[in-house]
Amino acid sequence: MLETATVEPGTPAMLAGFDHARLGHDHHIVFPDLTLRISQGERIALLGRSGVGKSTLLDALRAQLGDQGAWCPQANALVPVLSAYHNIYMGRLAHFSRWQNLINLLRPNRACWQEISALAETLGLDGLLRRQVDQLSGGQQQRVAIARALYQKRPVFIGDEPVASVDPRQGARLLELINERHHTCVVALHQRELALAHFDRIIGLDDGRIIIDAPAHELTPNDLDVLYAPD
Amino acid sequence: MPRTDTPAGWFSWLRGENMGARLLRLTVAMVVITLGLLPWADLSITTHDPWHELGRMLKGMLLPDVTATESPLRALLLTVTFALWGVALGMVLGFPLALIFMRSRLVRTLCAFVRAIHELFWALLFLQVFGLSAITALAAIALPYAATFAKVYAEILAQIDRRPAHMLSPHTDRLSRFIYTELPLAWQRLSGYTRYRFECALRASVLLGFVGLPTLGYYLESAFRQGRYHEGGALLWAFYLLIALLPWWAHRRLLLPWMLGTAFLLGPWPSVNPTLLWQFLNHDIWPQPLLSGDIAALPGWFAHLPNLLPAIGNTLLLGLMSTVGSLMVALLAWPLVSRHFGNRATRAMGRGTLIIMRSTPELLLAFILLLLTGPSLLPAWIALSLHNGALIAFLAARHADETRPGLPGIRGINLYSHELLPRVYPGILALLFYRAEVIMRETALLGMLGVVTLGFHIDSSFEYLMFDQAVALLMVTAVINMGVDVLSRRLRPDALPEPQRQPRPAPVGDSV
Repeated sequence: MLETATVEPGTPAMLAGFDHARLGHDHHIVFPDLTLRISQGERIALLGRSGVGKSTLLDALRAQLGDQGAWCPQANALVPVLSAYHNIYMGRLAHFSRWQNLINLLRPNRACWQEISALAETLGLDGLLRRQVDQLSGGQQQRVAIARALYQKRPVFIGDEPVASVDPRQGARLLELINERHHTCVVALHQRELALAHFDRIIGLDDGRIIIDAPAHELTPNDLDVLYAPD
Repeated sequence: MPRTDTPAGWFSWLRGENMGARLLRLTVAMVVITLGLLPWADLSITTHDPWHELGRMLKGMLLPDVTATESPLRALLLTVTFALWGVALGMVLGFPLALIFMRSRLVRTLCAFVRAIHELFWALLFLQVFGLSAITALAAIALPYAATFAKVYAEILAQIDRRPAHMLSPHTDRLSRFIYTELPLAWQRLSGYTRYRFECALRASVLLGFVGLPTLGYYLESAFRQGRYHEGGALLWAFYLLIALLPWWAHRRLLLPWMLGTAFLLGPWPSVNPTLLWQFLNHDIWPQPLLSGDIAALPGWFAHLPNLLPAIGNTLLLGLMSTVGSLMVALLAWPLVSRHFGNRATRAMGRGTLIIMRSTPELLLAFILLLLTGPSLLPAWIALSLHNGALIAFLAARHADETRPGLPGIRGINLYSHELLPRVYPGILALLFYRAEVIMRETALLGMLGVVTLGFHIDSSFEYLMFDQAVALLMVTAVINMGVDVLSRRLRPDALPEPQRQPRPAPVGDSV
């Protein structure tokens, strides 16, 4: 992160934002001049080709939001040799004492197990909690990653392609669940139909700039073509 | 616009900054230097009839006499016990060090120093204080292994995928972060490496017999030295069987029973005389002039040291020769065990041969060869080249088996030279340079067999109870080994066999 210019939370509804900020990583600037406000209660979809800076923006948001944000990275951030249960439990590692964490690794805490298996059931992961994550399918892994974010129980959901490898119908169901449990969501997506159907505000990125920022009901799928047009 | 290149000449491949040219230059330089220095190496055969002796040995191997040794089972179990507990202690000491290894230069230097001295030299040192006891055996294995574990564990932990740790809340405590996102990711490689080191420890444990501890090596040495080859053959077969059956008897689930069961075999426990220990640490190992504060006498003390230059020269020469020799053996031997060549029968035979070459402790191999040739650099050179070459050949073959030749139907020498060797060669060289450090350490060790390397003088200093001289020579050995380690790390090609991002099943340390 080169610089994260925080906008003073003047208006009470303001949650996070950037005012002419420069964002990037490792001496590589992705957003030279970014201005963006995110208010409480918004449901935002980030669209754009891969490599336009969606992850960079989400990272910066995550840093700003701190403990308010539940972070759902791509499925490759799971620990493949641990069970699905432990991977979901990891969402709240910081919440529990280190000794409970250590013991839980050997013998799952009963209360946590019950809570997590209830969560797993709503995500269609019932019966898979004991399974090592690298033995799950791509879609199942993705749901484990979502379960981990939900288990964090934070007001804001920040997701990096959380439904990339599930079919559209299931994707819709998962996004509804996410929306239900968080008052604010910022989610990077690549399925534009899902974005238009489940989010209020669409932000389209291209080449380090915001080129679309509009309410979802004002846009049609064709308006989003510009984001994916070859140069 | 078409442009015709002039045809490449003989030496044009050596020029240029690409990886291939660099590796080729390195190889040619090593071979040329070795050939240039070869006239100075003592490669004479001094025994009268080496072929006759070899025949008797082979006969002994073919017709082993299992009843000759009095209690072979006890020797075998003691060998396992020392290896098992030595590695366990080494882990307990080495793991915490691994966690601070990358952050502390002091720890890194200390570990490099401890590693630079071979297990047997440590054994010789501890022997003076603890006698022929379990403490000597365990300390001789645990100490250098702890230093190695610290380094390799630290390297493995540094290479794991950071993304899972990155997703955790920044408030997560260090311990939870480690046990949930770092240890599980490194676990497979950590345990794989530890398992490999256990096999090495078995060899080291055998070697402890050479200084008098009653492991397998003790009986092996006396049997071979006295020409009782049928007995020696039986013991050697017992050792090969031990190594070959390792996956079964050393299964993870049997670990605890083994540890508990062998705990009773550990012994004898020495009665350490604190006064003598104090005297040893405080007085015996230090140069006399230094103790009495008589600095002027120090040059005189140094003058009394044996003439080290030939020994150092021999050590370095043998190290270089054996490194190049290992390379040659590896290049010739890896196709023997690769799926791309031969058929099932030839591969099985190649495997058997290479496993025997790899499993025989180098010192033992050199010792057997020495009985054939008499003391010169020749047996040591052959032994080190065979052992290390076989080891590298296995890993190179495993790497080659993972690649699929691009041209269909390409076979034999063409497949070797055009498709596979260019792909595995950087890996072979990388492994070779990792291995160079080990070769250097073993080079010094071979002095114990009468080859005039540094180890020869160390061994005789201990024999004459000149501890100050022995320790000084150990320091010299350590410094040389550390120097070679630094040099080989500089020369080592960065390109390791597999891409860095995928965790490799076999750790880099496979070769350490």
